[in-house]
Amino acid sequence: MAEPTDRRAPAGPRRILNGGLRYAAMAALAFVLFGVILRLAGKDPLQAYRDIFTSTLGSAYGISEVFVTMTPLLLTALAVALPSRLGLINVGGEGQLYMGALLATWAALRFSHLPSWLLLPMMIVLGMIGGGLWAVPAGYLRAKGIVNETITTLLLNVVAPSIVAFFVFGFWHSPMDTNKTPNFVPAARLPTLFGTRVDLSLVIGVGLLALFWFVMTRTRWGLEMRSIGGNPWASRRNGIPVQRYIVGVMVVAGGLAGLAGMAQVSGYYGVLLANFSRGLGYMGFLVSWLAGGSPLGILVTSFVVAVILTGGNLLQLTRDVPYSVINILLAMTLFVVLARPRFQRRRKTA
Amino acid sequence: MKTKSLPSIVAVVVLAALLLAACGQAAPSAAPTEAGPCLTIGALHGGPINDAGYNQAMHESVMAIQESIPCVKIIEAENVPEEAGATSTMENMIQQGAQMIIATAFNHQYPALELSAKYPEVIFEHAGGWEMGPNFANFFGNPPDTWYLMGVAAGLMTESDQLGFVAAFPLGWTLTFINAFELGAQSVNPDAETTVAYTFAWGDAAKEADATNSLINQGADVVTMHVDSPATVISTAESRGVYSIGFQSLAAQQFAPENWISGTGYTLGDKLTWLASTVIDGTWEPIFLRCGIEDGCMAMAPFGPKVPQEVKDEVDRVRADIAAGNLVVFAGPIVDQEGTVKVADGEELSADAMGSVDWFVEGVNGSPK
Amino acid sequence: MTPLALLGVISSAIFSGTSLLYTTLGEIVGERSGIVNLGLEGVLLVSAASGFAASAVSGNPYVGVLVAMLAGGLMNLVLGYLVVTRKANQLASGLALMFFGFGLSAWIGRAYVGAKIVGLPRLSLPGLSNLPILYGSLLSFDPLIYLVLPTAVLVWWVLFRTRWGLSLRAVGEAPDTAFAAGRNPGRIRYRALLVGGLLAGVGAAHLSIAYAMNWTEYMTAGRGFIAIALVIFSKWHPLRAIVGALLFSGAVAFQLLLQSSGIQVSPFLLNTVPYLLTLLVLIGWGGRRKYAAPASLGRVYQGTE
Repeated sequence: MAEPTDRRAPAGPRRILNGGLRYAAMAALAFVLFGVILRLAGKDPLQAYRDIFTSTLGSAYGISEVFVTMTPLLLTALAVALPSRLGLINVGGEGQLYMGALLATWAALRFSHLPSWLLLPMMIVLGMIGGGLWAVPAGYLRAKGIVNETITTLLLNVVAPSIVAFFVFGFWHSPMDTNKTPNFVPAARLPTLFGTRVDLSLVIGVGLLALFWFVMTRTRWGLEMRSIGGNPWASRRNGIPVQRYIVGVMVVAGGLAGLAGMAQVSGYYGVLLANFSRGLGYMGFLVSWLAGGSPLGILVTSFVVAVILTGGNLLQLTRDVPYSVINILLAMTLFVVLARPRFQRRRKTA
Repeated sequence: MKTKSLPSIVAVVVLAALLLAACGQAAPSAAPTEAGPCLTIGALHGGPINDAGYNQAMHESVMAIQESIPCVKIIEAENVPEEAGATSTMENMIQQGAQMIIATAFNHQYPALELSAKYPEVIFEHAGGWEMGPNFANFFGNPPDTWYLMGVAAGLMTESDQLGFVAAFPLGWTLTFINAFELGAQSVNPDAETTVAYTFAWGDAAKEADATNSLINQGADVVTMHVDSPATVISTAESRGVYSIGFQSLAAQQFAPENWISGTGYTLGDKLTWLASTVIDGTWEPIFLRCGIEDGCMAMAPFGPKVPQEVKDEVDRVRADIAAGNLVVFAGPIVDQEGTVKVADGEELSADAMGSVDWFVEGVNGSPK
Repeated sequence: MTPLALLGVISSAIFSGTSLLYTTLGEIVGERSGIVNLGLEGVLLVSAASGFAASAVSGNPYVGVLVAMLAGGLMNLVLGYLVVTRKANQLASGLALMFFGFGLSAWIGRAYVGAKIVGLPRLSLPGLSNLPILYGSLLSFDPLIYLVLPTAVLVWWVLFRTRWGLSLRAVGEAPDTAFAAGRNPGRIRYRALLVGGLLAGVGAAHLSIAYAMNWTEYMTAGRGFIAIALVIFSKWHPLRAIVGALLFSGAVAFQLLLQSSGIQVSPFLLNTVPYLLTLLVLIGWGGRRKYAAPASLGRVYQGTE
């Protein structure tokens, strides 16, 4: 993905405002389109939107739920944004997520007698290792020029849930539990904030976003990565170890997604459920893509997406609309951005 | 510059208007009027309510409450994904005024339990679980007895002595059902064997079709199942000309007009109505509610056209025996696949133990893991 | 392992492989023109739901198949609009389409869950109808199954033996060159996507109308991604896809057989084998020109497209 940051005017309040207006405009268009669909189905769109907004932004509980949904998106989006600076496409967030969750679960079950301050860091590290390892084949094969990382990660995405299921059914589930492990002990759960369901991983995620921004804009690694992304041949000529970067970046990205997986099982669920992710990795890809890979954009975009997803929960109860329909609103937003309507002047980026 | 910003401005205005409208909405849309409902119940299902299976049976049981107590208001959610989605759904229901929550999917138990601690004034009833709390209880039918009856019917109807069972997961209760089925079949036909095929999903139609075909190819001529919806298994069996026995909901019979033997379903309407009435007059207490066919919690479907009278009579006879207490399904001695005695002579398997069974009785082919 | 059981595995592989093969053929056509559709899962779901709903409403399964085909074609045209006309990123557009398909199919299908439909009739090959019903029912296939092999051959023939197919492949290899030679890559890609969508629709129809005869949310259970992997496995060649489809779906059926024979192979591990095989195939054959992806498709995967 060619990196637009190099060609844009330097960041400033004007540009952010313009970007924000464009976002709002596109969101509005998407909402209108979805409203039309609702109307066609005989539902009242305004009431539906009111439901979405009241249940999410209208109460403290609602906002906390939005943050809960937003957290994994931050991490999986970051897992896509980082490699994109090198021009790599990582659609493997889904699989890396699962493998991170797998290793973290192993620790949670095996070491359940340990105190929290030992167990949680262990789980975090293992989660990142799990995801990172899962990304190694993709990185290595790409670095050697054998297979595209897109294909490799896509294939591994399907393999990972099967491996998780193998462990859950083969070793970890008790006869009472259907398709999940026993509940994690409290020591293995990420602490929550302020009595809501928001857990520590939100803080970790935001922190990592800030770190990402810092590394990309203020360190030499960031400069070298952007150089590889812009022109790999010239970079290699200039002595930048491209292959090492490719593998390394993929591993780190995998680790981020693995962390998201660990956060899901440790913070959100408290148990490892076979097939616990309904497209979180792919959602992260879309968030990162929508945000153009920028950290601030990821923050904002994942918030907006989370609002939509969380609000959809209430729609099911009050408007008699299946929960899955909220995916249509999400898709509409994406379609609008993808179709680049006239009030959005964007250069032809990838 | 002007033409570019105009649409953006319009868009921002629209968005702002929506937000203002949202903030202006003070009370939730379900504001009670003078004659408010006497009780608001929130019910959630793990799957679709018209699946001709478990979810439909639960849905009908919940709706029965409203038929008996018209002033009750019911908020229903279907296709609630396990666990996490359940929590937000229940929270939303409580915010809409629900004072009683009926969670029907197996995996809703822990979210409901957590929420019961957070909302002590709301009553939570869960289907099929085992946890209890001051405002948390559970209820369920008692399938093993009815499975035994179905086994009797199957054992008499089979010509190949091979019975097939499509199961979702090797869950304790599923194994108990299979065991009861086989025991029932063995009681009238000592050569009867049951083969088990797992789909590892509660509702994957293609896998269910595959599993059914596989069992039939191995010789089974009576097929039954423990998955969410019996529809696919039964239609597939019907298309192969093989007998089928339904489960979960009585609505399954329509899929097998010719080769249907019988079936059982959950008919918990009366019990749920009773529970709701205790909540309304404040006499609710947490009880571990289990009831069987004699109490009307489980029902047997009408027999299919190919079932001869002797079979019907035998099934009725056994049913009367169980109701009278003369026959206990899991009374010892019961031996498992390897020959180990699992229930000794003179003992009975308790309800608790049934939920954590991890073995199959002799005569069952397949792995209990 | 009785002959009946073995026959059963083959029959099962054919039954469940048919929808996979149709879908794969459709995706091959699209990818040969240079467009990868990550939203195939969503396309399948919408087609399956619409086809099922149409069958339930009209009482006629053929109507359902037609509606499913149409739905598939329309979904793919949406992708075409985004990718060809608006020049949007293919991967992102595909994923957006996937989410769209999740939601739309749930909505369409909701009223028809548990509906009983008249499935496609199952016909035995002549001469086999005298077998006992147990065997006979294994070998009676519905019309779509009988048509799948001819369809694969037809796709092969069109792609490799006609001018239209040649233009399509040329666009897939080097759209700018094709443009210079007077072709219209945009229009060709639209057509390719339309055909691909129609084929995918048939695959989805087979699943919901002929095989499972049911509709539930997410019922395709990843078949879209399986097809994408299968396209790679068969190196974008319709005839090799036949083998691949039988292999992939045979593995599932075989695993069920093993289960009840008491052999303990985890179905989950067995599930992973086709994908790992695909990866190995890619690693082993990756370099050779003949087996490589269409060049402009490769650029999509590189991110330079």
